[in-house]
Amino acid sequence: MRLPDLMATGWAEIWAHKMRSFLSFFAIAIGIATFFYTLSVLSQRYRQLDKSAALAGVGRVDTETNHPLGLTQYKDLSFRLPEGSSLSFTTDNEWLWGGWWGSRLSHKGQLLAGCAIKGIMPTWKDSNFVYKLEGRFINWQDVENKHRVIVLTVYPNEKEKRKLWSDGDDYGEKTVKLTDYTQHHHLLNQQIIVRNETFTVVGLLHIPPIEKDARFKKDQERDSTLYIPYTTWYDLFASDEGKGSTNIRIVTGKESTARTAGKSLSSYLRSQFGPKEKPEIEFFYEKLEERLKDARKSLNNMLFMGIIAMIAGGIGIMNVTMAVIFSRTKEIGIRRALGASRKDILFQFVVEAMLLGLCGAIAGMILGYLAVLHLAEDTSQMTFSWWVVVGSVLIALVTSFLFALYPAWQAAKLKPVEALKNE
Amino acid sequence: MVIAQCKKLIKIYSSAQNFRALDEVSLSIKQGEFVSIMGPSGCGKSTLLNILGLLDEPTGGEYLLEGVPTARLNDARRTQLRRNHIGFIFQSFNLMPRLSVLENIALPMRYSDMPRADILPRARELAVRVGLEKKLHSTPLQLSGGQCQRVACARSLANNPSIILADEPTGNLDSKSSADILDLLQDLNKNGMTIIMVTHDPKIAAGTHRTIHMKDGKIL
Repeated sequence: MRLPDLMATGWAEIWAHKMRSFLSFFAIAIGIATFFYTLSVLSQRYRQLDKSAALAGVGRVDTETNHPLGLTQYKDLSFRLPEGSSLSFTTDNEWLWGGWWGSRLSHKGQLLAGCAIKGIMPTWKDSNFVYKLEGRFINWQDVENKHRVIVLTVYPNEKEKRKLWSDGDDYGEKTVKLTDYTQHHHLLNQQIIVRNETFTVVGLLHIPPIEKDARFKKDQERDSTLYIPYTTWYDLFASDEGKGSTNIRIVTGKESTARTAGKSLSSYLRSQFGPKEKPEIEFFYEKLEERLKDARKSLNNMLFMGIIAMIAGGIGIMNVTMAVIFSRTKEIGIRRALGASRKDILFQFVVEAMLLGLCGAIAGMILGYLAVLHLAEDTSQMTFSWWVVVGSVLIALVTSFLFALYPAWQAAKLKPVEALKNE
Repeated sequence: MVIAQCKKLIKIYSSAQNFRALDEVSLSIKQGEFVSIMGPSGCGKSTLLNILGLLDEPTGGEYLLEGVPTARLNDARRTQLRRNHIGFIFQSFNLMPRLSVLENIALPMRYSDMPRADILPRARELAVRVGLEKKLHSTPLQLSGGQCQRVACARSLANNPSIILADEPTGNLDSKSSADILDLLQDLNKNGMTIIMVTHDPKIAAGTHRTIHMKDGKIL
């Protein structure tokens, strides 16, 4: 019998026993839904990690030292790093509060709150730069001359966030969140008062919507940040106590040179601050591997559940095929009498089971798609690759084929004369 | 020309205390013959028909179909011979209840090498030949017993067999339908078809060229 005839016969039987068919492919559908969900989420995670790695640079090295480092040290350290490396010093965040006790921030008399101020260098933008820059960025002149310039982040218009962040009242003084304020006020080239010092906004960093933000660790709180020259920050915020800490970031571009850069950094800090200085060096590729390991672990658990569901589905199909063969023994005899070979009978039941598997795959993919839409953390960049669809269908077909093989072989083995006697 | 020849056929059912269903049966059927087999229940008529139709294998002896010895053929070869040379008509019609008249007639052709495009036109032609041109799309449940047996007759002709084996084809029919089926078989026979029919009905047997009587697994 040819495949189209086998499929037509199989489909007619499935349609004639809709409830039985539904029950037998349901478990397959659950298994496929799990596979589909897992494979979709897995492929999206890998894509995101790839993007994050590309954006951050695989050869990124980070550390923090409890000493404020100056420009001389910056030049010294730069000299020791592998060729082509980018070095950046940044300060900690200083939170600006609107109240009378805080580091006041205002624009045209309006007190602003809910933001941090950070000192950076021009090389800051060599890693994780997801922004669209309006105006200019902080340059070396700003750093060397301690200019009072600001580059600030502007969030995309996010209605939901704005609803949550209403205007505040700090001890009787009306404040507005800077994030909200920048939605309505274009601050480029405007003057902002920070701690009684007048700063000029020279650049705006437009942040992409969170779903398009490819950074490894996203800024979940979505508070605004004011970036000022590294040296200016120390003038303004660290001079009181004469101390501070420095975050050091090196971007070498390659995983192989990152280790050398890490060693140079470590030995330089020890040479500067004594043998007790043991900075914790973070290699980005190690973080990446860790994240991949975590992703794999959780997805392996999901896949295990999927395999269990598929085995249950396969057993269901096997059970149904056996029951079908028992109830259709006479039919097998008639078909054999009319010229069907053992192979024809075998294929008839295998094709019928595989059609059930295909129905399960289709239902499963719909379920899986709904699961992705409603359960996955971030669906915005979720694309359904053709290989996930093909993979899901193949898994269903192979499972039903394997589990239908034994009962179908039993049917094929029946002697025509004995099958015909069966009523 | 001898189309089917049995030489000392023996069939023993080991599951039934070595019951000897056929006991050295020898028989020759010539091309174009219409032969009926009669005898009491359990005399071995159906067993003989099953062996002639290659649905069962003899325990001993030899059966030649169109000169081909069949006793030691494997299943695939037996299936091929059965498909190409033998047509069956059963007492209880054995139609597929969910298939239409047309599809039931077409079924044996689905297992043959016939081009797919030729199958339904041929099935339609056979349906016309047995007078069912108005029932092509009905299912067996919508037909009378006589009409069902006509479908079975048409189906038996699907692959242009050299021999038709009919196992009590009128057993489930009233006298009018029985007569109609006999007419149909006689008509087929007049056109050169070899037919072997098992029957209990002497009137039906009288309509054939030759009647073989069996008892206790032997031809009398």
